[in-house]
Amino acid sequence: MRVVAARGALLVALLVLWEIVGRASNPLLSVPPSAVLPALRDLLLLRSYPDLPASVLLTLREIAVAYGLAVVVGLACGFALGFNRLIGSAYGPMLAALYAVPAVVWYPSLMLFFGLDAASKIAFGFLLGFFPVTLAVLAGIRQVNPHLVTVARAYGAGPLSVFGRVMVPAMLFTLVAGLRTGLALAVIGVIVGEILGSKRGMGALINHAYGLLRTADYVALVLVTLVLVVGSDVVASLAERRARKWSES
Amino acid sequence: MSRLRVHGLQVLSVLAALALWEGVARAGWVDPLFVPAPSSVGAAFRTIGGAALAALGDTLGKTAIAYVLAVILGVGAGLAVGSVRLLRDVLNPFVIALYGIPKILVLPWIVLLLGYGTAPAVFYGTVHGLFPVMVLVMGAVRDVDRTLVTVARSYGATTWQLYWKVLLPAIVPSVLAGMRLGIVFCLLGVLVVEMFAGVRGMGYVMSSLANGFRAPELFAATGLVSAASIAIVLGLDHVNERLSRWRG
Repeated sequence: MRVVAARGALLVALLVLWEIVGRASNPLLSVPPSAVLPALRDLLLLRSYPDLPASVLLTLREIAVAYGLAVVVGLACGFALGFNRLIGSAYGPMLAALYAVPAVVWYPSLMLFFGLDAASKIAFGFLLGFFPVTLAVLAGIRQVNPHLVTVARAYGAGPLSVFGRVMVPAMLFTLVAGLRTGLALAVIGVIVGEILGSKRGMGALINHAYGLLRTADYVALVLVTLVLVVGSDVVASLAERRARKWSES
Repeated sequence: MSRLRVHGLQVLSVLAALALWEGVARAGWVDPLFVPAPSSVGAAFRTIGGAALAALGDTLGKTAIAYVLAVILGVGAGLAVGSVRLLRDVLNPFVIALYGIPKILVLPWIVLLLGYGTAPAVFYGTVHGLFPVMVLVMGAVRDVDRTLVTVARSYGATTWQLYWKVLLPAIVPSVLAGMRLGIVFCLLGVLVVEMFAGVRGMGYVMSSLANGFRAPELFAATGLVSAASIAIVLGLDHVNERLSRWRG
C-alpha cells in the first residue's frame, strides 16, 4: 500500500515538475502537460490529424503481419536447428553472431529493397521479432529432459505424440516467453522503421508533427503510440498467463 | 560431431550462398539497382573504403563515450536502487517500463533539444545502453546472499565497505553480462540517431547511400558495420571468459 502510494506520488511529482519546467522554457521545444491535454483531445476528436484511425490501423496491420511471419519462420528455423545436430551446431553460432549486430544496420538496405511503404517496416519488424522466437525454441529444446523422451518412446509413443505430449509442454514456458519478447521487438521494429522513413502510419504522423515543430501534437501522437505498444504487451501477457495455466493443469 | 564437419558446413554454406547470389545477379533475375552481385559489393569496398572507415571511426568514438557513460550510470543506479528496499519497490515498474518502451518515440524531442551532431547521438546511445545494464544489476543486487550482508554488518563493516567489498564483487557476473548486452544497445542507439538526424557517422553514410540508390556501396558499408560489431562482441566475450576463469 505504502509502495503504491509512493509510486503515485512520484508520478504526480514528475508531472508537476514537467509542468513547471515546460512553462518556463521555450514553447517550441517543451510542452507542459496542461498543453498536451488539449492537443490530445484535438487528436482524438480527429481535428488535428483526421487520418489518425487509418494510421493506427496501418501500423497495427504492419505489426500483425511482421509478427505472424516472425512466429512462423522463427518456429520453423528453431525446430530445424534444434532437431538436427549438424545443422544446429553449424548455423546456431552464425545466427548468434548475427544477433550481435545492432539490427538497425539492416534497415537502410531493407528500405532500399522494399521501398518507403509498409513492406520495409514489416520486413524490419519481422527481422527483430524472428530472433527471440528462434532462440527461445532452441533454448526450450535444450530444456527438455531426454529421459522423458526416452521413456515415452519406450512405452511406444510415436514421434508426433512425443512432440505434442512431452516436448511442447516441457518447453512451453521458455517458448511463450520468447513469443512475448518477439512481439515486443516486432512492435519496436515497425515503429523504428516508420520513424526512420515512411509516408503513412503513426511514425509518419510523428515525423510530420515534429518537423513542423507542433510539439504538443507530437507528444499527443507519442502517447497514442505508447497505448498501442502497452496494449500489445498486455495482450501478450494475458496469453502468456493462459498458456502457463494450461500447462500446469 | 567433429569440429571439422561443422566448420566445413559453415564455410561451404557461406560460399554456396555467395555463389548463388552472384549467379542470380549475373543472370539478371534480380534488379542490380536493389540487389548488387557480391563482386560489385567487393568493388564498392574500394570506392568507399576510406570515407567509410572514417565514418566508422566517428560512430565507434561516439559509441565508446556512450558505452562508458551507460556502464557507469547503469551500474551506479542499479546498485543504488537495487540495494535500498523501498527505492527498489517503488522504482522497479518505472525502470521496467522505461526499458521496454520504444525509446525512438522520444528521439525527435531529443534532437529538438540537443540539435544535430554528436551530443544527441551520445545521449541517445547512453540512454539505450543504460537500462539493460541497470535492470541486470538491480536484479543481481536483489539476489545477493543475505547472509553475506549480515555477516559483514555484524563484523562491523561500514556502508562503504559493504558496497565496495561485498555487493560489488558479488554482482560482477551480472555487470559483465550487462556490459556485453549494453555495447550492442549503445551502438544501435548511436546508429539510429545518425540515420534519423545525422551529419556524420556510419548511420548517416548508410541512409544517404540508401537514399541515393547506391546499393553496392550500401551493402559494403552494412557489411563493414556488422563485421565491426561482431568483432567487438566476440572480443568482449573473450575478455569475459578470461575474467571468469581468473575468478575461478
